[in-house]
Amino acid sequence: MLANTAALRAEYRNVWVLAEVLNGEVQKVTWELLGAARDLADARACELWCILLGDGVSRAAQQVHSYGADLALIVDDPRLARFDDEAEAAVLIRLVERYRPEILLAGATTRGRALVPRVAVKAECGLTADCTGLAIDPATGDLLQTRPAFGGNIMATIRCSQHRPQMATVRPRVMAARDYDPSRRGKILAESLLPGEAGSFKTVLEVFHDADNAVNLSEARFIVSGGRGLKDAEGFSLLKRLADALGGAVGASRAAVDSGWIPYSHQVGQTGQTVQAQVYIACGISGQIQHLVGMQSCDYIVAIDKNPETPLMKLADLAVVGDLYEIVPAMIRALAKT
Amino acid sequence: MKSHIENRVYHVEILPPKQETEKLESDLELFTTKFSRVMNSGYCACITDNAMGNLAFQGTEMIEELGLAPREDLVMIHLNTFHTKVALDGILASCRNLGIRNLLVVSGDGSDRLPRLLPREIGASGVAAVTSVELLRYIANEHPGFFNLGVAFNPYEPEEPEFEKMERKLAAGAAFVITQPVIGLHPGVQKLMEKYPALPVVVEAWMSKKLELLSEAVGYEIPQGQAYDPIENLRELHRIYPSCGVYLSLLGFKTQYDFLKDTWKRG
Amino acid sequence: MKIVVCVKQVPGTSEARIDPETKRIVREGIKAVINPFDVYAVEEAVRIRERIGGEVIALSMGPARADVVLREAISVGADRAILLSDRAFGGSDTWATSYALAQAVRKIGDVDLVLCGKQAIDGDTAQVGPGLASQLGWSQATCVMAIPEIAQESLVVKRMHEDGWDRCRVRLPAVLTVVKDINQPRVPTLRGRLAAQKMIIPTWGAADVGAELGKIGLEGSPTRVVKTEPPPLRGKATLKIEGSAADCAEAFVRELRLKGLV
Repeated sequence: MLANTAALRAEYRNVWVLAEVLNGEVQKVTWELLGAARDLADARACELWCILLGDGVSRAAQQVHSYGADLALIVDDPRLARFDDEAEAAVLIRLVERYRPEILLAGATTRGRALVPRVAVKAECGLTADCTGLAIDPATGDLLQTRPAFGGNIMATIRCSQHRPQMATVRPRVMAARDYDPSRRGKILAESLLPGEAGSFKTVLEVFHDADNAVNLSEARFIVSGGRGLKDAEGFSLLKRLADALGGAVGASRAAVDSGWIPYSHQVGQTGQTVQAQVYIACGISGQIQHLVGMQSCDYIVAIDKNPETPLMKLADLAVVGDLYEIVPAMIRALAKT
Repeated sequence: MKSHIENRVYHVEILPPKQETEKLESDLELFTTKFSRVMNSGYCACITDNAMGNLAFQGTEMIEELGLAPREDLVMIHLNTFHTKVALDGILASCRNLGIRNLLVVSGDGSDRLPRLLPREIGASGVAAVTSVELLRYIANEHPGFFNLGVAFNPYEPEEPEFEKMERKLAAGAAFVITQPVIGLHPGVQKLMEKYPALPVVVEAWMSKKLELLSEAVGYEIPQGQAYDPIENLRELHRIYPSCGVYLSLLGFKTQYDFLKDTWKRG
Repeated sequence: MKIVVCVKQVPGTSEARIDPETKRIVREGIKAVINPFDVYAVEEAVRIRERIGGEVIALSMGPARADVVLREAISVGADRAILLSDRAFGGSDTWATSYALAQAVRKIGDVDLVLCGKQAIDGDTAQVGPGLASQLGWSQATCVMAIPEIAQESLVVKRMHEDGWDRCRVRLPAVLTVVKDINQPRVPTLRGRLAAQKMIIPTWGAADVGAELGKIGLEGSPTRVVKTEPPPLRGKATLKIEGSAADCAEAFVRELRLKGLV
């Protein structure tokens, strides 16, 4: 909503975090969001609310308090068991209009990025996608949102000075959760779904959760990724063994996916996913720009290749020159000894 | 192919216009001019397939849309593995309709924008990716006895793997070979001819003065001090390989074409 | 079915060169191309028309030269195209963009389905698709990897998530954003290209689509970019190791340990 005077803006108070909920369970990114939001709420001297939409989410209230929220705003309804984005958006719009938060944060996950733009349009406010930095501008009290654009080529800082709430989706694995404090107490506010809010636009028929790849790319601390240099699909079994040894996930370049060696859900890069792992181990990937834009913000990059001159070998923090089919098994053995 | 060699039919490479061209009309005109000239000379027009992964228009579509008239046996279509199966079958069907029997089957260079054949689509199992070998086999199976299938030979690659590939290509249905551009004598080509005396071989002649471009592509070491004369090299190739055909790439239609009537002498 | 497919002209990516000192990716010779995800959206729209009949209309909001991407859409099968272009749209954020596109969709009239690519590779927001659905008050589905069923009043789509996928029935009219897995796009034919060259593409301005000036361009954009800067430097020199596999593996584990990663 337009809030182009200080008086109008003063009507909006509190920082909200929309919890990422899957099968009634609150996901890790929520704790990261609460960690970041706690700092914002403290800077604004206001409350931190965590919004829980789902089926069976009431039992997460204490967890949410323990990670820093002052209040859990809960809509617990079986009709929200599966991801009905229009339903969640409708509820959230109604809650925003009623309670008028100053800031709303959500995870930049497929669900968060489907749902929050819908809310921002109806609420006529600004939304910044996939933020990697959040801070309060001391001069104005506005939220400063930093995010990569142009495939990570530039970092843009964004502000919404004339509209409230200020909304942002936040990249997983960037913010730090606060320490879990079970002694922390908070309030609970229960709201309900209105008739017609759920199921009007879509019905979720079936949900498949990939158990084979339990650690997914967006959550993984370690990613072991394969490209053309693998020469065939079998190479990914080897990479999976290294990923398992590290408790990580398997990624792929576009070339590997286009060759049919591994499903698209593993693709890292411009037309795949952007990842933010602590360690990215690239095996037989030359490092075309379309791939680099997807993994360049990982903390530590290891590249394994026979050719020491590829873009990825030059970008890497650790460049291992050799045959990945010898190096990777040796790494697995070396890790087993630790 | 043997008749092309016996009748001194040059294989002249013509590139279709690139998809991104901003002067499509004039590019189409130029293509038509080149094609007609080659037909009138009694030479064979060899039309490339997204050469070097650059999106270009497709050979049989060019002939159909522009209403060009392929003369009997005087067209060769390059065909690589970077097509959808639907598109591949369409190209083969067009070739049949147009009476075009000569195909140069190569693995090709891909790009982000180009689709590629998956092994299971063409009945190839147990391979990680489709190469010219699997594509040859598919064409030979789907259109038995119709096409005259050629393959590439790269004498600049390490000998053993290149000859091993040639074995597989021949087993899959290859009936003639076109080499990478050679400058004068190349032992690899000699060896190819010794190993397969009955196999028609066409050597490629690099007709551009810019030898550096070829060096970049194939890793050929340019001998010091000499300027490269493509026409002179062409004459050399006829002398060194009298029983081979010749494929002309980067031919200067304005500056070099007229020399061709005098270069191929009966030995 | 009447389908609108939204396409965007974006700077293309070029050869990657890593600046050895800053470790920044240096891009050279950037030309404007169609947003890669939109190529899949156009292909899917054409396939739906091939499946059940109808019309595919390509729509782009951009400067005059964006007509190039509209012609590309026509060359692979879109029936016609519209360019939404006006100085007044300049500086639009995703809110203002989704509003303008919604006005255009309304003006086209009787649209059943809008397809978009998941995100544009310059803005990287993935917000316009769902924003457009919200402006229109329609159903939406993002990250669509397949459309197994098309019925009179609804579609069944498969949506990709980080942890798997789901399948939903979505009421029409709807806005879908698609990902790369959904299809393998065809390459333009010469015939398609010639048809695209001849096609007349109308340009609609703000007034043509009845857009309120306060809701478009800079004024209609709640978000403002206040600063841009290059990303933080990676800074560290590359440590190169060679030798036996065992030695390399040991060095790898040692480095991870030094950094407290294992």
